[in-house]
Amino acid sequence: MMKYVLKTIWRHRARTLLTVCGAAVAIFVFGLVTSVQEGLDRLTHGDAFNRSLIVFQENRFCPTSSRLPEDYADRIRPLAGVREVMPIQVWTNNCRASLDIVVFNGADPRQIRAYRPMTLVGGSWQAFESRRDAALVGRSVAQRRDLSVGDQFSIGDVSVHIAGIFRSSVPSEENLIYTSLRFLQYTNSLDAAGLVTQHEVLLTEGADPDRVAAEIDAELRSGTVATRTRRKGAFQAGTLSDLVDLIGFSHWLGYACVGLVLSLVATTTVMSVQDRMKEYAILQVIGARPLGTLRLVLAESTLLCVLGGALGTVAAMILLTFGGYAIGAEGVTIAFRPSTRLVASSLIVSLIVGLLAGLGPAFQVSTIKIVDALRTE
Amino acid sequence: MPVVELQDVCKSFRKGGEIIQPLRHVDLRIESGEFVSLMGPSGTGKSTLLNLVSGIDQVDSGRIVVDGTEVTTLSRSRLADWRARSIGYIFQTHQLIPVLTAYENVELPTLLLKQSATERHRRVDLALEAVGLADRAAHYPRQLSGGQEQRVGIARAIVSHPRVVVADEPTGSLDTDTSEQIQELLQRLNQELDITMLMVTHDADVAAIASRRLLLDHGKLLETDLNEPGKTAAG
Ligand SMILES: Nc1ncnc2c1ncn2[C@@H]1O[C@H](COP(=O)(O)OP(=O)(O)OP(=O)(O)O)[C@@H](O)[C@H]1O
Ligand SMILES: [Mg+2]
Repeated sequence: MMKYVLKTIWRHRARTLLTVCGAAVAIFVFGLVTSVQEGLDRLTHGDAFNRSLIVFQENRFCPTSSRLPEDYADRIRPLAGVREVMPIQVWTNNCRASLDIVVFNGADPRQIRAYRPMTLVGGSWQAFESRRDAALVGRSVAQRRDLSVGDQFSIGDVSVHIAGIFRSSVPSEENLIYTSLRFLQYTNSLDAAGLVTQHEVLLTEGADPDRVAAEIDAELRSGTVATRTRRKGAFQAGTLSDLVDLIGFSHWLGYACVGLVLSLVATTTVMSVQDRMKEYAILQVIGARPLGTLRLVLAESTLLCVLGGALGTVAAMILLTFGGYAIGAEGVTIAFRPSTRLVASSLIVSLIVGLLAGLGPAFQVSTIKIVDALRTE
Repeated sequence: MPVVELQDVCKSFRKGGEIIQPLRHVDLRIESGEFVSLMGPSGTGKSTLLNLVSGIDQVDSGRIVVDGTEVTTLSRSRLADWRARSIGYIFQTHQLIPVLTAYENVELPTLLLKQSATERHRRVDLALEAVGLADRAAHYPRQLSGGQEQRVGIARAIVSHPRVVVADEPTGSLDTDTSEQIQELLQRLNQELDITMLMVTHDADVAAIASRRLLLDHGKLLETDLNEPGKTAAG
């Protein structure tokens, strides 16, 4: 009976093609929207971001405006629950929301190597540690800016020599460029000798992040600059709050795409079935059960929808894999990465939408009055 | 025991405000192997009678038993299963599925019976051979002549070896020569495969091939005399 469904779909090739393309475009957009949300979720709820704290200057948001003494690290380190403190200087070409943000993180090369979940895919650690202006570039940035090992990369007053390209288990890391702390501190426009943007505090096993954060702020209250310490996830969510609203709104775009596919496939199925009411009556005369004809209609709508959905998903995955896209603001970036969850959710959505789209006509077909349908010419 | 038995069957339709009652307390017994023709003026309810016998329409009252099954009590999907096994339906216009080849059209009822692939092939080949279209198996309906299409329709009706085949004006839209071929075919199927036939026709010559002839008029069934094939009960 599947042959009947396939041949029916094939008989109206043009209609099938248009429907499949429409569904593909909508699922493509749905995939992209979902990937943005996934990226944000990872950044704000990921485990990796709940086991470390960010110490930032109080009431400051853009990395260029937060200036903490580097030696705060020595005051934080002895506190209970603190495993390691990593002073980080951040530099970005753009403090506002942007699709092509370049963010430099300057830190002690030994600490980067020890605490960042990265693997070099080109270049070497030795090259990074031996040259003052050396930089390790995240895979996504390298892709987007077409950079390779050995290149010189300049943006604003910063000019670095690319000593390595890395990938990371944390997708947003792949949008960063790491340099040594000293190098970035002495960049002309920053003029930050002895100062850093933030301290990243790694916690010991079992330490309560919020308690340690409060202790750090209390300890540094007596210092020259007041601080605000938060979990890294919360810090990133706070930094991106404008974008978070925007991305929350893009939910609706995702729903709209699903609605679009639903109405498109439903229209096609209704048209297709309306034309062939008599065929379904004949099938029932020769012994097809009402439920059997119902399944045939559902198979038709689901096939159209899943076909379109699969095409759209593949297209979205290709774009996400090779585009290396990220959106960022104030030195924090959200990476849009392909993921199996994304593929699964897109396909499941198309499957469910396909079934829903066929429900009406399928019900109509299964309750058809055979005699009446046969009498129509 | 009769293969088809109607007891006190009534059927009416509501059309706008008025009620038409084509079948009024109809009784009928058809024995196994009989070839019965059914004539009558247009609109008297001949098709309705076939539809009731094949379970695609419901009686208002009365009882219909076909091949030992009381069809008037079955649910829709039970009826479908029963039709797949026990009834072949030949339409006036073939009613083939246009996207399927002759072979695939004939195969459809066997797919519903969930038979093995080899058994299906055997039956489809046999049915196509019986109607003389083995060499047209791969053709689509639009590539066949009217008579050939009708023969594919007949092959589809007999492929699952039903006890009873009903035919609603099977030659109604064919020219005389083709009509004669189809008549011969139906007669052969009745005699060689021992299929019980109930055929509606407007043509007295076509009715003449049947072993027993009935006339439906004013809601009642009458047996007509074999020696007077042209007779109609106009009065
Ligand atoms: N589904 C229906 N709804 C309303 N009226 C119907 C329906 N089916 C049949 N009728 C009416 O019942 C009567 C009998 O119809 P039927 O089709 O059985 O006649 P018939 O004897 O087969 O006629 P013909 O020789 O023209 O095919 C007709 O008056 C027809 O209009
Ligand atoms: Mg009729």
